[in-house]
Amino acid sequence: MNVVLIRRILTTIASAALLLWAVATIVFFLQHLVPGDPAMAILGGASANPPEETLQAIRDQYGFEDPLLVQYGAFLTGLVQLDLGESYTMKQPVTAIVSEQILPTLQLTGAALAIAWALAITLTLLTAGRRGWLGRLGAGIEVVFAALPHFWLGVVLLVVFAVVLQWLPVVDDGPLGLVLPALTLGIPLGGFLAQVTRDEFDVALRQPFVLSALSRGARTADVRFRQVLRHAALPGIALSGWGLGSLISGAVVVEVIFSRQGIGQVLVAAVNAQDLPLVIGVTFVVALVYVIANILSDAASVLVDPRLRHTIGATS
Amino acid sequence: MRRRPVLIALAAAGAGTVLGGCGTAAPGADLPPGTRDGGHLVFATDREPTCLDPHNSGDMPQTYIARQYLDSLVSMKVDGSVVPWLAESWEISEDGLLYDFTLKPGVFFTDGDPLTAEAVVANFTHIMDPKTQSSTALLYLSPYFVSATALSELVVRVELKRPYSPLLQVLAQAFFGIESPRSMARGLSENCEGPVGTGPFIITEWKRNQEVVMVRNENYNSAPADALHQGPAYVESLTWRFLKDNTARFGALQSGKVHAIFNLPPESVPAATADDKITTDDFIHSCIPFAFDLNTTHPALADIRVRRALVHAADAEGIVRSAYAGVFPYEGNAISTGTPFYDPAYSLPYPYDEQTANALLDDAGWTGRDEEGYRTKDGQRLSLRLPYNSDPGETPPADQTILQNFQAMQKRVGVEIQLLPKDSASLTAIRRDPLAFDIRAGYWNSPTAGVMYIKFSQETYELDNGQNVSYAFDAELDEILLDAAATTDPDLQQRLYSQAQDLLTAQAWHIPLYPIQTRLAIRSDLVSDIWIEPSEGEPVLHDAYLNREGL
Repeated sequence: MNVVLIRRILTTIASAALLLWAVATIVFFLQHLVPGDPAMAILGGASANPPEETLQAIRDQYGFEDPLLVQYGAFLTGLVQLDLGESYTMKQPVTAIVSEQILPTLQLTGAALAIAWALAITLTLLTAGRRGWLGRLGAGIEVVFAALPHFWLGVVLLVVFAVVLQWLPVVDDGPLGLVLPALTLGIPLGGFLAQVTRDEFDVALRQPFVLSALSRGARTADVRFRQVLRHAALPGIALSGWGLGSLISGAVVVEVIFSRQGIGQVLVAAVNAQDLPLVIGVTFVVALVYVIANILSDAASVLVDPRLRHTIGATS
Repeated sequence: MRRRPVLIALAAAGAGTVLGGCGTAAPGADLPPGTRDGGHLVFATDREPTCLDPHNSGDMPQTYIARQYLDSLVSMKVDGSVVPWLAESWEISEDGLLYDFTLKPGVFFTDGDPLTAEAVVANFTHIMDPKTQSSTALLYLSPYFVSATALSELVVRVELKRPYSPLLQVLAQAFFGIESPRSMARGLSENCEGPVGTGPFIITEWKRNQEVVMVRNENYNSAPADALHQGPAYVESLTWRFLKDNTARFGALQSGKVHAIFNLPPESVPAATADDKITTDDFIHSCIPFAFDLNTTHPALADIRVRRALVHAADAEGIVRSAYAGVFPYEGNAISTGTPFYDPAYSLPYPYDEQTANALLDDAGWTGRDEEGYRTKDGQRLSLRLPYNSDPGETPPADQTILQNFQAMQKRVGVEIQLLPKDSASLTAIRRDPLAFDIRAGYWNSPTAGVMYIKFSQETYELDNGQNVSYAFDAELDEILLDAAATTDPDLQQRLYSQAQDLLTAQAWHIPLYPIQTRLAIRSDLVSDIWIEPSEGEPVLHDAYLNREGL
């Protein structure tokens, strides 16, 4: 069993490394396909007015006129040493910028994921498998939630709760400032997860074990919460890894609206300014988060579903 | 079953915050009464600089913030005159080639080093050094600058290649803020995070994407002669907050979270006007207004009749009013009303006149019409490409409206305008390629009327640095502008710059639309004495104080 487990872990790590290399390579070449002179980007972009000598000095300094493969080689060498280079625009090491900005984004996405799950579980427990208007209402709410675009929801929440009602601060760096951005990200994902969970819940409700539990005298609410929900939550958990990734892309919008620190804002600015090292650094870290999130969601599935514990190692 | 799952979540979130949410940037209840001293000021702006050292790059957000921690050699007043700042006095040689600045004694950088002539020389060296990656400051200096030398402990001599009378106004900009040599020697990566000057505030922390925090320089003794008070700033500390989103920025002001905001969103102007706690302060930059530059390498635009027809057909005044609802004024002259030596005679040179436009186009030979109703000549449609930045931060919705209005107005006289949305990188790529665009929109902020030379001279045409967007020049105009730069006689300058405005208007190389503004909205119930300096429209917070009892 141990050998199998170790092999499994090694395979996971190797495929993760391969994925990260692929991501970095694709982004590297994509960025070089973008028209424009990176030396201009370094000197301030479209609104700047550098003389030709300055531009040439920059091209020499950064080796922009080297063959692309030479630049790629230098880039890969840096990558293995975890040196992602220095940002063209911010003049700071990319690793320093990313490590400063990743934490607020993870806080935001973590809080949003928690809200999404709280919404999904509440909606499912209360309305799934119910006949009549209650079930339809629940399903309707989910569809509406899942369809809300972040940029719209964010502005509406901001105007209603921060500007008009003033229940929450417009800007705040503490936990209070996290509420509206996390709701903006969490509500649509919550609607989406609830839809998946509801389908599964309906299926599980028709399983024989429900009937036998009820016939043993268990209360309906207990059966729904203790037994059926376990089944219903599985696909949602599997999707959470993907969900976390989608939250990070959603964070791009939300961080701008709520002026939060974070990787999303950095990515937007970096792409706009053609800041190649920073774009690669952020993309790389986001890919890393995806990989880790998927590993975690696998682990969570095992935790919730005891059947999986036996299959791991034993049969594979 | 309880049927309020969603409401529970929202209500819980709401209830928890009733307590904490009311924390405003409190009026000075807890501040000592009867004095302006103390307190924490929060200022919010839209754009974040990439580097806090304004010698590097040279974008507007850098000057706005640099003004708070750097002092310049001189300070410019609204009338265009220049008063002492770090330089107590200066002498200009007869031929206009030598500028000797005498520095204020007893001034120290906030790292403890004294301000000396050598330090000022180091600043010029820093700007001219390619490693600094300067763009704007270098562009101002490089055509004229020969050297800077320390004549004595406190006297600096700047030597020029040719006379340049706007030099003093240029040096007043925060792009030329004087930094400590020790700070600059640390290299870009460190100096960008926290340049050290002699200014009223000291940078303590820069949280990227969020804010720059500054504390008062307790030893400040070098305020400019036009400051409202000498000595250290009134407020103890200052937060320079970045709030990109218009709704969030104005919302933060309304709820009192911030004391003042930069760039009041045009759509929030009615709300700000209606709110008696909010005052607004609009300042018109000295600049070449936001304008459509017509690329004269295009065969049709090489014809002055076509260019004039475009201006007559555009109804520039109408399209600005429609897009900005009167918040931005229209400007038809080559330079803005905020520019020294502006001549009001040219403020509305080409009134809207469809008939004249049609007659000019007919006259220029664009008499055919194709099936879509556009004018043709020799089977070629009169079609012009207008690329623009699709990022709403760079091209705000109102500017997009202007572009669309322009397109619609030109269609009426049979001219096709192709609006081409582009990302920043693609726009950067075409800015030096005259074949890639026919019309481009842009502006040029500069504290002097000499800015006309930057955009419309043979020198910048040949330099090909993307400034002469019209790819046009005129020997007479060059001569007039060079003469104006060579004299310090204001009457002569006025005469020459008026001639230049006349010539530029006649050439119709560009279609001016509106001047660039610094637009502040201030919670006047909370804070007083925030003002705007005129060289680059930089907000000045050194004189600001928080309102409290007994004042």
